Amino acid sequence: MGKKILEVQHIDKSFSGNKVLKDVSMDIMEGEVHTIIGENGAGKSTLMKIIGGIYSKDNGTILLDGQESTINTPADAMAKGISIVHQELSLAENISIAQNIFCHREPANALGLIKWKELNKQARAVFDRIGLDIDPSLLARDVSVATQQLVEIAKALSLNARIIIMDEPTSSLSENEVTYLYSIIDLLRKQNVTVIFISHKLQEVFKVSDRISVLRDGELVGTVDKESSSMEEIIHMMVGRHMDDLYPQKTKHVGEVILEAKNLSRAPVFKDISFSLHRGEILGFAGLVGAGRSEILRAVFGADPMDSGEILLVGKKVVIKSPKDAIDQGIGYVTEDRKQLGLFQSMSSRWNIVSSSLEHHRKHFGLIDRQKIGESSQTYFNLMDIRPKDDSKNVINLSGGNQQKVLMAKWLCAKPKVLIVDEPTRGVDIGAKSHIHNYLRKLVDEGIGVIVISSEQPEIIGLCDRILVIAEGEITKELDNRQNQVTQEQIMKHAVIKEQLHG
Amino acid sequence: MDNKISYQVKRTMNRLGLHSSAMIMMLLMLIVGMTIRSPYFLTVGNFEVIMSSFVLEAIMAIGLTFVIISGGIDLSVSAVLPMSAILVAMLLTAGVPIAISIIIVLLFSILIGFFNAGLKIVLNVHPFIATLAMQLTLRGLALVISKGENVSGLPKAFTQLGQGYFLGILIPIWIFFILIVVFGYLLKHHKFFQQVYFIGWDPDAARVSGMKVNFFTLFVFGFSSLLAGLAGILAAAQYGAAHNSFALGAELKVITAVAIGGTSMVRGGTGTMFGTFLGIMFMAILNNAFMMSGISTYWQDVVTGVMLLLAILLAETLKSKKLKLS
Repeated sequence: MGKKILEVQHIDKSFSGNKVLKDVSMDIMEGEVHTIIGENGAGKSTLMKIIGGIYSKDNGTILLDGQESTINTPADAMAKGISIVHQELSLAENISIAQNIFCHREPANALGLIKWKELNKQARAVFDRIGLDIDPSLLARDVSVATQQLVEIAKALSLNARIIIMDEPTSSLSENEVTYLYSIIDLLRKQNVTVIFISHKLQEVFKVSDRISVLRDGELVGTVDKESSSMEEIIHMMVGRHMDDLYPQKTKHVGEVILEAKNLSRAPVFKDISFSLHRGEILGFAGLVGAGRSEILRAVFGADPMDSGEILLVGKKVVIKSPKDAIDQGIGYVTEDRKQLGLFQSMSSRWNIVSSSLEHHRKHFGLIDRQKIGESSQTYFNLMDIRPKDDSKNVINLSGGNQQKVLMAKWLCAKPKVLIVDEPTRGVDIGAKSHIHNYLRKLVDEGIGVIVISSEQPEIIGLCDRILVIAEGEITKELDNRQNQVTQEQIMKHAVIKEQLHG
Repeated sequence: MDNKISYQVKRTMNRLGLHSSAMIMMLLMLIVGMTIRSPYFLTVGNFEVIMSSFVLEAIMAIGLTFVIISGGIDLSVSAVLPMSAILVAMLLTAGVPIAISIIIVLLFSILIGFFNAGLKIVLNVHPFIATLAMQLTLRGLALVISKGENVSGLPKAFTQLGQGYFLGILIPIWIFFILIVVFGYLLKHHKFFQQVYFIGWDPDAARVSGMKVNFFTLFVFGFSSLLAGLAGILAAAQYGAAHNSFALGAELKVITAVAIGGTSMVRGGTGTMFGTFLGIMFMAILNNAFMMSGISTYWQDVVTGVMLLLAILLAETLKSKKLKLS
């Protein structure tokens, strides 16, 4: 590692009066893998988009190779050897991957007709650099997401990029693919290409980076060498507090049974599921992806059918055939996929919050009581600390964490007795995560029963008072966790136990 | 070796699209069916009839293919057609030379397209609305300037353009075939035209990749309008007169042909000129089949509607499916 290839100095940036970057300065060394980490909304992407010429900065300077340089458009950045591999893939799916790489720079004859053989040859040469063996004439839609990502990287290389910015490149990849991506990043490092990596997955950050810069609320907290740092230190830098404080206290008082499920079955997804949920506790559903956790609880909520079994709410048998039945009975379900199932993306937060409880916001003749809606929305907006503080903004414009809070507010507004939360903090940064956890705890302290489904074992252990482990549609173990005594190994053992039995 | 061939065949089919392959089979079935019913179906004379009844729409479909792949829509073509027919007829009856009349009308058509594109680029008006407004305006104007009457008395040299033959085939059909081959080839192989797939798929990504998206939008709408103008000139030549009722509702037939050909109306960046060609042939043959079979032509729209729906369902189901390449 030698000289400084890129320096940003005193960068400021505001969006409509909102300061997103405050006096950020940072050096990037040639040939290093430098991770920018920070919560959602910390300003990582904004900073990268300024370097990539997509946004313009309000103040500050950018130095390339020690020389001050102006980057006003993406084309400027590309000409200077800076490329961004975007999180949302931008490959055009109906043309070949070779063409996507050379996107409008295809080799062509004097008439502008593309020289396909030459194009494929050049594409192959770029693929060789990252050790990718694939037919360049395949259409982009015919290759996997992981390959598409690699094609994006190849595209950057074809532009002779010296600095490649990767914006959360692993978010849609499987484990094997992620390993492959790491090996390619290693290859790039050997070719003296500088990689700026944006992520909020700590473990991955420690695996790939040489140095790590932490952003918080638009300010640079610091830059550290991986070797001389620890995860705890980074977390502390990201959120300004220690990991021990990340999860709320466990339950103080467990009350009477509020929800009871008896022998729920639906072949072949789940079989003979019985459990009870008490007032004042958070019950966790742990297990591997595909074990049937969501399916069981979706059936409880009436969103999926079930073959047999009964559900008792506060000791009384209830018939739930549709989500509407469940909502009427006081069961809420915060879905896993907030984009597709939970929120109306292009409606305001206010309408989203009241969308499951419009019946409580009616005047005479069933007309909508707008004033009451405004009041309800404000109440939950403040309660969940959703930012920015403007409930007329469309949900699509909010960060992931705040969208999750709107989704929770929506269900709380319906005043449920039981709240089922599926992956409460997926894609949410640590700060918002902690807020959501604390809020769930507050809810159960007030007497609501909460069921949490999560694939993140630290979250299940940190949050839940009791844990049910599900494997292949059956409950394989119930674990008491009021003293925080459950370990990840314990959960894992029971999550895979059926697989072992079947060989 | 066998494996290699089957790999290539499967790949070609995937490239062609399972949709196009299915369309070809449907076309063949239609042709075989009609040939069994009527010995006159598969004759050169009937082919001429098939093509000439749909040639104006077919020419416009070439332009629409670009517009729709680029993620837009152009409803104004069916009004550009009568407008330019009337304009060229008026210029000619006023004694303007043929070549100059044609050039003026074509330039006028391009300007209409630029205006459509400008509404999208500058004011961000959705092309559906912009071109719908243009369609109503132009059709009204055509009625106003022609007072609803035929503009006739066109010189023979001009009407030859629509009625004359070259090597035994009607000139407008030649024009259509030349245009679709040239622009089909360019769409597939030319750097400039290939941009349509990037821009239609994701205009922002295309912009970030350094493409001149606005310029391209001007081009596609200008081109679409230009071809509609050309169709108008040919219409005036074919009928020896121009009337404001030409091509009433033709925009829907054109869009139908493009959509049946597998160009996606849902998201840009999908579609081929070959598909459009299949769509055109399908519409034209269906049209002919109704005339020859003696079934009431009232049923034609019903069948066309059902076919459109089927073709799109087919495209949607086959979209994600492809033959496995091992």
